[in-house]
Parts: sequence; C-alpha cells; structure tokens
Amino acid sequence: MARVMNAFLHRPQRALWLPALATACGLGLAGIGLFRTAPGPSMVVPPGYVALVNQKGILLSDFRAQVELETTKRYADTTPDERRRTLREMVDEELLVQRAVVLDLPETANEVRANMAVGVNAQVDAPVLAYRPTDAELRAFYAKTRDRYSLSGSMTLRDLVLRVGGYQNADQTIAQAQGDAAEAVYQLRSGAALDYVMAHFGLAPSGRSASGEEPDFAAKLHLGDQLYAVASLMRDGEISDPIVEGNEVHILVMAQHQFPKVADFSAVRDKVYTDFRNAETGRATAENLNLLRSQASILLAPGQSE
Amino acid sequence: MPLINLKPLIRTSWALPLTALVLMGLTLVAVIHWRSTRLQVRLLAALPEAVAGDPALLHAATVQARPLYAQHCAACHGPDMRGDPALGAPNLADDVWLYGDGSLFDIERTILYGIRSGEDKAHNESEMPAFGQRGILSDAQIRNVVQYLLQLSGRSYEAQAALDGRVVYAGIGNCGDCHGPDGRGNTEYGAPDLTRDVWNSGGGPQALYTDIYAGQHHIMPAWIRSLSLEQIRALATYLYAASHAKT
Repeated sequence: MARVMNAFLHRPQRALWLPALATACGLGLAGIGLFRTAPGPSMVVPPGYVALVNQKGILLSDFRAQVELETTKRYADTTPDERRRTLREMVDEELLVQRAVVLDLPETANEVRANMAVGVNAQVDAPVLAYRPTDAELRAFYAKTRDRYSLSGSMTLRDLVLRVGGYQNADQTIAQAQGDAAEAVYQLRSGAALDYVMAHFGLAPSGRSASGEEPDFAAKLHLGDQLYAVASLMRDGEISDPIVEGNEVHILVMAQHQFPKVADFSAVRDKVYTDFRNAETGRATAENLNLLRSQASILLAPGQSE
Repeated sequence: MPLINLKPLIRTSWALPLTALVLMGLTLVAVIHWRSTRLQVRLLAALPEAVAGDPALLHAATVQARPLYAQHCAACHGPDMRGDPALGAPNLADDVWLYGDGSLFDIERTILYGIRSGEDKAHNESEMPAFGQRGILSDAQIRNVVQYLLQLSGRSYEAQAALDGRVVYAGIGNCGDCHGPDGRGNTEYGAPDLTRDVWNSGGGPQALYTDIYAGQHHIMPAWIRSLSLEQIRALATYLYAASHAKT
C-alpha cells in the first residue's frame, strides 16, 4: 500500500490522477442520485403547518384563524377541545376536497365549476375594483351609454273602436267603416264632443287602454305593437288617423303623453358609478378569457362553431 | 523513514496553509448555513407570540426580510416603511393598524392573503363608498364632514361646519356604521380610527375630501403564491419588530 502511494506521488502523471479521481466520484454521486428511489412520504409535519392530509398541508395560520372565527375568542383563550374540533373539521374538509378532485367534480358538478369560475374572476377583478374613477370618466361613460338612463314615459289615452259589421250596418265593409271612422276623426279634430261622436258613429272603448295614466311599457302590452307604434308618437290632445286592425278600426285619443327622457347625470350618479365598475370588471374578465384562449389549444368537432 | 513520503505534496510552502484555510472556510460556511437553517425552522415552527419575544429569531428574521421588503413591499409602503399617501399605502412603522391589533399573527395573515385581493381568505369585508361620486352626499355635506374629522383628530376646524358635519356623520352618511359612533374605527372591517390623526392618504382637508368623495378601494396583493412561508414569516416578524421599536 505504501509502495503504491509512493509510486503514485512520484509519478510525473499524477496530475492526471486527481481529475480522474474527482470525475469518478462525481459520476458515482450522480448515479446514486439517478437510480436511488424517490424519498417516501414525509412523516413529519413541516414547520408552519398544523397537519398533513395525504401530504397536503393545512396552514397553522389558517387553523388559528378558523379557531378564532368559530369560537369568537382569541386563540390563547380557546380550550383544547375547541381547537381539536376545529382541526377535525378542517381535516374533514380537506379530505372532501381531495375526494372531489378524485371524483372529478370540477368536470361534472355545475356548482363546483361555477364557484371555480367565480374565484378566478374575483382575482382578475380585484385590481380593477381598486381603481377610483374620476368624474370625467364617469361623465364620459354616461354620455356613451345614455340610453340606459332614460326614464320611462307614460300616457293617458282612450282607444275607441268601430267594429266592422256591428252596430249600424251588418253588411258594412272595411272600407265603409274606414270612411265612417275618418269622418269621426274629422269631427273630433274640429272640436266635436267625444261622447257625441262616439254615439253618432258607433264608436266604443276597446277595453285595451287603462282608465287613467299608465307607463309606456304597460300601454304597449295593452295596445299591442301596431297601436302602440302610433300612440308613442302622439302628443297631448292629438287624435290619431283611423287604424285598421283585423275587422276593427281604431281611433286613439291622447289626453296626456309624458315622453321618455334621459335622466340628468346628477340624478343617476349612483347607477352610472355602478355600471361603470361593472363595465370595467366585465372588460377585465373578457381580456382574461382572451388571454386564456390565446394560450389554449381549442379544437372543435366538425360542424361545430362558437 | 515514513511509509508514505508526502514530501512532493508539501514541497511548496503555501500548500498546507492554503488547504487549511480552505477547509476552515468550508467548515465556517457549513456551520453558518446549518445555524441559519435551524433558525429558519425555529422561526416558522414557533407560534407568532413566541417569535415576538425571541431576540435571536427577531434578528434572523430581520436579516432575511430586509431584501425581501425592498424587493416586494417598498414600491408601495416606501423604502422606509413610512407609507405612500399618493397610493394610500399605510405607514408600517407605527403602531396603527387597519386590520387586527398589530400582532405578528395579524400581520402575517395580511401578507398571506392580502386586502381585497380576490383571495377568499383576504380582508374583503368592506370598502368605503364613493359618497360624492355616487351622489349620496353633496359637496357641502362632504366639506362639513371634513371639518368634523379635523375636530375629531384634534386639529383646527370650523366650528359650525363641524357641527353640521357631525349630523351628517351620524345621519345620512352612516359613517358610524364602520368607523364607530365615536370615530374610533373598527379593525374587523379595516375602518380606520379617525381620532388619531394618522391617515393613509395624507390627512389634509383636500385629501380627506377626496377620500370621502371618491371612496377607498385600495388593495394589497396576496403573497401566499409568490413567497414561501418562511419568507412571509420573516417579513411579518420584520414589520412587527419595526412597528414595536418605539414601545
């Protein structure tokens, strides 16, 4: 052994031995690392955690916060039984969550999927909601979306109808009824009393219009699209031309008409503010989805489109 | 005659001392690393209250946390921890806290999950409404409330306006719902104490007006996915130590 060492120390090529020895040691260590089996599951709860459930940690901080939330006491004032109960609940919840992943609930359960989407959007929206809009931005948004802030109009009108073939002449035609109605309109516009004209020409209330003022949307429901289209343009005191609808001829008498109008910015500030923030968060969500799409591989089956 | 002749190896005069130096250095590095690792484990394993009372852990946390703070926190809270009124970022070096009571546990929770960060466990309880922008309070009402706040915080104020502001505070403004009828705040909601003259946005009359007019919606990101638990514990400890340095 000594002879070998001395021979080694005195050989002129000993400078090559050392790198060779180091290389061999390095390869040996690499081989050990490559071919050694993976370390087994941890049997020690790492610092900062209160428990490992199938190697998934429950944070000590979360545990303590949950104890305080459930007991409404400071952690130091809680009893061991209270802490044990909370820990058991947290472990149970973790087991259920892991089981949900195994059962692929994110794929199959609508409620789980919906909540996951909500969670992602909440993180996307957070910085957007932190932004304080200026008055100028709110006014610009209001100007761009004025239609949202229109106040509904209202009308007080009477819908009179002349039913063809009824009252005066069973053989009356549409054209004849139209003629009668046109004469009635002429007389009303000339100032004749409504009751007289109704009695003389056989006009009767159709039953569609309310007895007093009603909002535009209600009037539209009652009158129908054709009559409402005429009524929506009439001003106070106007009498419409005869309107033929099926076997009836209608005459609208508008007593009072409050046209829809856009509310002033100052009157709808709160709604504008809310709508602005909703629009911003909607934009952020859409941008996030665009980003996710740009990074995703989405294949559609033949014949499908989106 | 020795069995193994080492003369070729020790022929030069610097070989042995150099080798000894290198070995000593390596040993020193190993010891320091081992000690640091043990301290980090202790820092994280200990309950927050225990950490706060251990000078060795406080020191270890400070050493680890200083560069972390500079990299992740200083952009908002300032390199000196004094906050940034322009951003509404609070002063971290005083003993006034929006959430919790300034305990290491509370500081750590805030770093972990943030404020209005979108995380479910974040401080998401409330935000201050934009009283002016939403048309809840008029310009005059807000100005009167500002005077009342100046009075509450012990500064000079206009007496009549402050009286009117107090009526708004307790009435249509419903300020007491969050800030308390006495203005002393509520750390469960993150509603500041209005009596201490400590303000995230500067606290001048114009700044107070803007806060009431446009509301407060500041966020702090959650760091649980960006920093390790050890780093977060170190940061929390560092901030705890800084905020208790005067007391």
